[in-house]
Amino acid sequence: MKALKFLLDGSVGPFSGFAWTGGEHGEPGPWVEAEGDVTCKRGVHACAPADLPYWLQDELWEVELRGPVVRGRHKLVAPSGRLLRRVEAWDAAARAAFADACLARAGELVRRQPEADGYLADLERFQPHVGPAAIASLAARAAEAVEGRAGYEAERAAQADWLAGRLGLERGVAA
Amino acid sequence: MSERTAELTCAELVELVTEYLEEALPGEELERFEEHLVYCSPCVTHVDQMRETIRTTGALREQDLDPGLADELLAAFRGWRGSPA
Repeated sequence: MKALKFLLDGSVGPFSGFAWTGGEHGEPGPWVEAEGDVTCKRGVHACAPADLPYWLQDELWEVELRGPVVRGRHKLVAPSGRLLRRVEAWDAAARAAFADACLARAGELVRRQPEADGYLADLERFQPHVGPAAIASLAARAAEAVEGRAGYEAERAAQADWLAGRLGLERGVAA
Repeated sequence: MSERTAELTCAELVELVTEYLEEALPGEELERFEEHLVYCSPCVTHVDQMRETIRTTGALREQDLDPGLADELLAAFRGWRGSPA
């Protein structure tokens, strides 16, 4: 199965610290095998396009997962995986545009629900100082504060749609 | 009791950090914990500091302490227990 995976600069796993290799010049990287039984806690982690806003990091990669895939809330876990190619479109310009889009939707939220204006002010204040993951979280929490869990989920879905469109992600990924 | 929010708060993360470092968090809590770390750099720093503290103190033996320092620490703890709340 093809899926997506965010890594830190240098292709390092954000929680495992594992340094991934390969996936350059159109050549898949080596298979990486998880130790022990695969559960939603242990294994090679990746995600579907709808999950991307929850895991934003420096580098985005298309990966291949092998073996039975366990579905978490917002992630996929498999016994093994490898890098296929870097999604080059996830660059500094895309990260900035993504944050702007979150801010624009927060502006729309304030027009519908004026009591959310404090959240919009926070977003505008923080945007120059934090990364897109923090902006995405703030925007989703603003929506949750005034429209409940449905508002939160709708904002996260809008973020995922924006990313899929901007990054030209294949519809078959993690399907 | 208030409804649980979609995302973990920083206060909740601090409560769970020991279980996280001991790999004892259940699957869904682990996922919420790591999602929080994605967007909250102060909590990343907190987890890193806790991990480093455990690593450092785990390597420390009683005989590594200067005898004077041990006495100072014991006196400080005695004073702390006796101080008003």
